[in-house]
Amino acid sequence: MLPALVRLLLRYLLLAAGVVLLNFVIPRSLPGDPLSFGAGEGTDAAVPLSRAAKDQLRAYYRLDEPLNRQLGAYLGDLSRGDLGRSIARSAPVSDLIRDRLPWTLALLLVSLLIAAVVGTAAGVVAGWLPGAGRDRLLVAIASALAAIPEFLVAIGLLLTFAVGLGWFPLFGGQTVFAGYGGDPAGVARRALDVVWHLTLPAATLVLVGTSAFVLLARDATVGLRHAPWLVVARAKGLSERGVARRHALPNIALPLLTFFGLRLGTVLGGALVVERVFGVPGLGLLGYQAIRARDYPLLQALFLLSGLGVLATNLLLEIVYLRLETRRGLLRG
Amino acid sequence: MARRPGALFWLGGGLLLAFLAVAALAPLLAPHDPRLSTGRPMAAPTREHLLGTNDVGQDVLSQVIYGARSSLIVAGFVTAVSTALSWLVGLTAGFFRRAEAPLMAGTDLLLALPNLPLYLLVLTLIGASQRNLIAVLALLSWPAFARIVRSVVLQTRSATYVEASRALGAPDIHVIRRHVLPATLDVLPTKLVLTVRFAVFAEATLAFLGLGSGDAISWGGMLNWAFSDPLLFVRPGWPWLVLPPTLATAALILATVWISGGVAVVRSSHTGNERVSRMHRPPGGGSRLYRRTGRVAAFAGRERVGPARPAGGEPIRSEGVQVEARGPAVEQVGDDSAGDGRPREPAPVEADRHG
Repeated sequence: MLPALVRLLLRYLLLAAGVVLLNFVIPRSLPGDPLSFGAGEGTDAAVPLSRAAKDQLRAYYRLDEPLNRQLGAYLGDLSRGDLGRSIARSAPVSDLIRDRLPWTLALLLVSLLIAAVVGTAAGVVAGWLPGAGRDRLLVAIASALAAIPEFLVAIGLLLTFAVGLGWFPLFGGQTVFAGYGGDPAGVARRALDVVWHLTLPAATLVLVGTSAFVLLARDATVGLRHAPWLVVARAKGLSERGVARRHALPNIALPLLTFFGLRLGTVLGGALVVERVFGVPGLGLLGYQAIRARDYPLLQALFLLSGLGVLATNLLLEIVYLRLETRRGLLRG
Repeated sequence: MARRPGALFWLGGGLLLAFLAVAALAPLLAPHDPRLSTGRPMAAPTREHLLGTNDVGQDVLSQVIYGARSSLIVAGFVTAVSTALSWLVGLTAGFFRRAEAPLMAGTDLLLALPNLPLYLLVLTLIGASQRNLIAVLALLSWPAFARIVRSVVLQTRSATYVEASRALGAPDIHVIRRHVLPATLDVLPTKLVLTVRFAVFAEATLAFLGLGSGDAISWGGMLNWAFSDPLLFVRPGWPWLVLPPTLATAALILATVWISGGVAVVRSSHTGNERVSRMHRPPGGGSRLYRRTGRVAAFAGRERVGPARPAGGEPIRSEGVQVEARGPAVEQVGDDSAGDGRPREPAPVEADRHG
């Protein structure tokens, strides 16, 4: 029996290899090939590929070579960090992604963190007294939010706060043509401008993301309501708030942590939609534009990166999980 | 103590039926051909065009009516195929040990992938059409429930009544049909409702991202069309382009949510009193529990050799179903098949893959 950590690493290594391989296999195994698509597909909105673009794609996929050479070249390029050149933008894909990554990362991390904290707090409050008025209210709100797709939430916020009230900008990541100046005050102005532009997109992701945390934290809290250590904590004379914070919260932290990692994969999809609605110049908008131009190298890179990114985060969280579990086990045993 | 689904369940059901009727009767109900330009562009609502027209003069009401078709066709086919695949893979992996490792490895890989980037890549490669959309959504949405079905099969397989049946020489196919399959059917309603919701979600989202069917009219596609206009909110008639498809999508999804809530209520009353089962669970096995919680009643109508559920009590799983009924997380249907006492693997968050 291998130690748990080694097994964990092995499993994730296999999964990562699977993602890398899948990224190679998908375009080559689907019906037709990337070049021929669009010939007879009815009224397709996307533009047909130009001759130059087709040549570029053929070179990118190395379709003239045997399959094993294709795989070798693919892995070789990948190991050097070469993700190919974007067809629509004629720039290296890795450069494009590097430019856009900070926007998406900031949007995702900030909103996911807020969602996790707010959602967990609300969930504990709701689950503390199941069936009480505030429990039913919170659960109803969370269920309603969980029931609406991101793009509807985004459109709703946009219509209300940007179009209707005019509090926030309609579009973009920062004001176009704004001169901020290089001095510290200018930097601060720029930061404020960006925050102002990103408020609605982040709010969308928070609204959509919070509900899941609320429901999960609530059910976890309900589950340990009658746990003996909570009775003891109360008997010691701790306030309800103290019981919740010191004794209940640590016990529901683990599943929530795991869930945090799992959310990342879906939030990524959410970012795609949200960036499209609000025109945030992040990876999602890049992806949307890549769909329209059928910029395959870019799409492949986005798929690969998001897949590996989600795996890496999950691995990290599982290692934390493993450590916490071991410690708990020691204490118990 | 069978609880009845509440009024919301019936409201949701009625709403869904109404959408189905609209979809089926679209050619009769729609006042205009949704593809033709039948009026002045960007016209405000008139008697002729009850919801106005879009920027090329197509009738918005007719488009909304035909949009119900796209949503429901995609939802229907995706649900059917995805459910069949979940059960096929889950039963096979759970029942035949040799198939388990490769099938579960594939399932795990699919579960680990971020779904939307995957859909985008595949759909852009094979081209966006309704058929392709259905294929992609169906072929990529089965893994979570395949896991759940497998864990049920694993529990059932070790039950004494299954062992007895096999000892009597029953062929595999008989054991599966008579004993294993019925045990898994408990999670079927949940799967159906969740997948319908997931498909409606996904169809609208993908269409909104420009990957809807090129030739079929859909709500997401209408919104995509509207948002492709950089001057959308400057135009006076923009609410007529944005609100009808938005509200229609929201209503359909709401209907499925209400239905799933009702299904969960009924199921949680079927699977017995949770509090009792938790507190009085006998250490050794569940048959006493089984009698005590009166679950027999729930299965009285069914013909069965043994107890409806694996001994060992804990039905799969009122909690999990309640969780997802209120929101997007199915998980808790844990998978302790490894049996090494480790905590459950991070449970697949069903509804995320599923909507």
